[in-house]
Formats: sequence, C-alpha cells, structure tokens
Amino acid sequence: MKTSKSNDFLRGAQANVPIGVSVFSYGAVLGMICAQKGVELYQLTLMNIFIFAGTSQFIIVDMWNNIAEVFTIVIAALLINLRYFLIGASLNSLFKESSLKDKFLFMHLVADENWAVTIERSKHEKITPLFLFGGGICLFSIWSIGTYMGFIFAGFIDDPSKYALDFAFIAIFTALCFNLYQNKTNLIPWTSAAIVAYISESLFGGNLYIVFGAIAGSLVGVFLEDKRYV
Amino acid sequence: MSDNEIYALIIIFLVAVGTYGLRLSGLLLSGKISDEGRIRIFLDYLPPTLLLSFVTPAILKEGIAGVFAMLLIAICMHKTKNVFMSMIIGVVTVAISRNFF
Repeated sequence: MKTSKSNDFLRGAQANVPIGVSVFSYGAVLGMICAQKGVELYQLTLMNIFIFAGTSQFIIVDMWNNIAEVFTIVIAALLINLRYFLIGASLNSLFKESSLKDKFLFMHLVADENWAVTIERSKHEKITPLFLFGGGICLFSIWSIGTYMGFIFAGFIDDPSKYALDFAFIAIFTALCFNLYQNKTNLIPWTSAAIVAYISESLFGGNLYIVFGAIAGSLVGVFLEDKRYV
Repeated sequence: MSDNEIYALIIIFLVAVGTYGLRLSGLLLSGKISDEGRIRIFLDYLPPTLLLSFVTPAILKEGIAGVFAMLLIAICMHKTKNVFMSMIIGVVTVAISRNFF
C-alpha cells in the first residue's frame, strides 16, 4: 500500500514535467519583470512559496510602483484567483477518502497545471491526492527555478512569445480538455462555456471570464442532463 | 525596513491567505453539500468548462493559426492520446504563423 502511494507522488511529479516547460518560461518572464521593478529576491521567494499562483503574482508585480495601494492590489490578485474556488470544488471526488489533514496539506500547491493533469488522469486511472501533490512539488520547483533564472539573467532571455512558448499552456490545456470529452451531451455545455468566456473577456478584460465561462457552461450541463432524469 | 517593504509584506500575506482560503474552501464546501443529482453534474462539468474558458479567448486571439492549432491538437489527441506531442504541434503551428505570416 505504502509503495503504491509513494508511486503516486512520483507519477504525479513526472506527469507534470511536459507542462513544466511552459511554467519555466512563464516564471522566467516574471523573474525578469521583478528585477526591472526592483522586487527583492526575498519578496519573490515569499510570493513563490506562499501565494504560488502565477497570474496573480504577475498582477502584484505589475502594480509594484504603487505598492501603497494595498487594498486595490489585494482585491485584483484575489479576483484572478477566484477560479481556485471552483478548482477546489471540482476536486471533491479525488479527496473523497482523504483526511482533513491531507486536504489542508495538499490544497496549497494546487495550480492550474497540476489540477488539469490530475483531473484528466483520474478519468482513466485510480489515483490518490498524492498524485496532485507530487505534481505541485514538481511545478513549485520548476516555477521557482524559472523565476530565479529570469531574475538573475534579466535581459538575457529573448522574447519568449517569438517561440510561442506562451502558447504551450494553451496547447496543453486544450489537449487535456479534449481528453475529457465523453459524448454528444457535452457539446452544448462546452460550447456555451467557450462563448460566454469569449464574450466576457472581450467585454471586461481581466481574468474573471474563466469563472463566468465555467459557471455558465456547467449550469447549461445541469439543465440539459437534469431534464433527462425527469 | 521601509514603508514600501512593509506594504509589500502585507500584500503578500493577504493574497497568500486569501488564495489558500479559496483553494481549501472550494474543496471543503463541495464535500459538505449533497453529492448527488444536480450538484454532481455541475461539479463534473467544471473541469472541462474551466479549461475551455481558459483557452478560448487565447486561441481566438491567434486568429486562424490558433483555430488551426486547436484542430491539429484535437486530431493528435484523438489518434495518439499524447499530450506532449499535442503541445509541440500546437506551439510549432503558432510559432510558424507568428514568425512567417
């Protein structure tokens, strides 16, 4: 039993290596901006360890020149991280047999990437939350090294968007999403999510479109599938 | 320690606590409520709709190359189930379009 558990940790770490390539380059860009904005290494480290949510770290560093606007910066960062509430909710079945201690311990290192990899894997295999945690440790290491490399070699890294490294996330998330496809019933809810996300992004910018799209699409799913039971 | 350093520490602390709170409360609340019927369906739909909401605006911003990359990823996933290969195909497609078109 013990071996299969530690295997899950390692398998989770391994499964996140491919997506780590884009996490690394994303982290390097953040590190570069930190160096330019005068963020201290210890401040970057505190953010990596305790926040561990890339996009919101970008927002904080972006507003670094007006650091006295504490309230504005905190709200902006937390709005971007609102999706983690839904991500947490979607992990319900993975943690079904876990203790409260495990939930408290493993949830901190949940990022978009290891969550997506874990959810996709859990559709095909039986895995434990250690798979998710292993992925989190893997991403945390890659992310931290990436930010430090960017910080130290600021200016050394050529424009990552030229090589479409920023698209690597999108490509992987798209691939993982296709793997979750079950049957034709999915089509309308999925399309609804895409349309609502696109429209809210065009209208409001920011990052809330992720939350809006997911809630809209899932509600359409509930509406369609619920009717079949009646 | 300067004022700005203290502001920065307060911000990091509040965002850290808030983000962890969001991660944990989502999980704990979904465990509390009934796990059947509509809520089950809603939770099951969250992962794919979250992922789609993530990627759709970014794909459409790339224009035709983005949509083409998405189609290639779909075909690659259907044929090989290989996420890494699908990523390479998607990235190369977009990189070519950004550099040569």
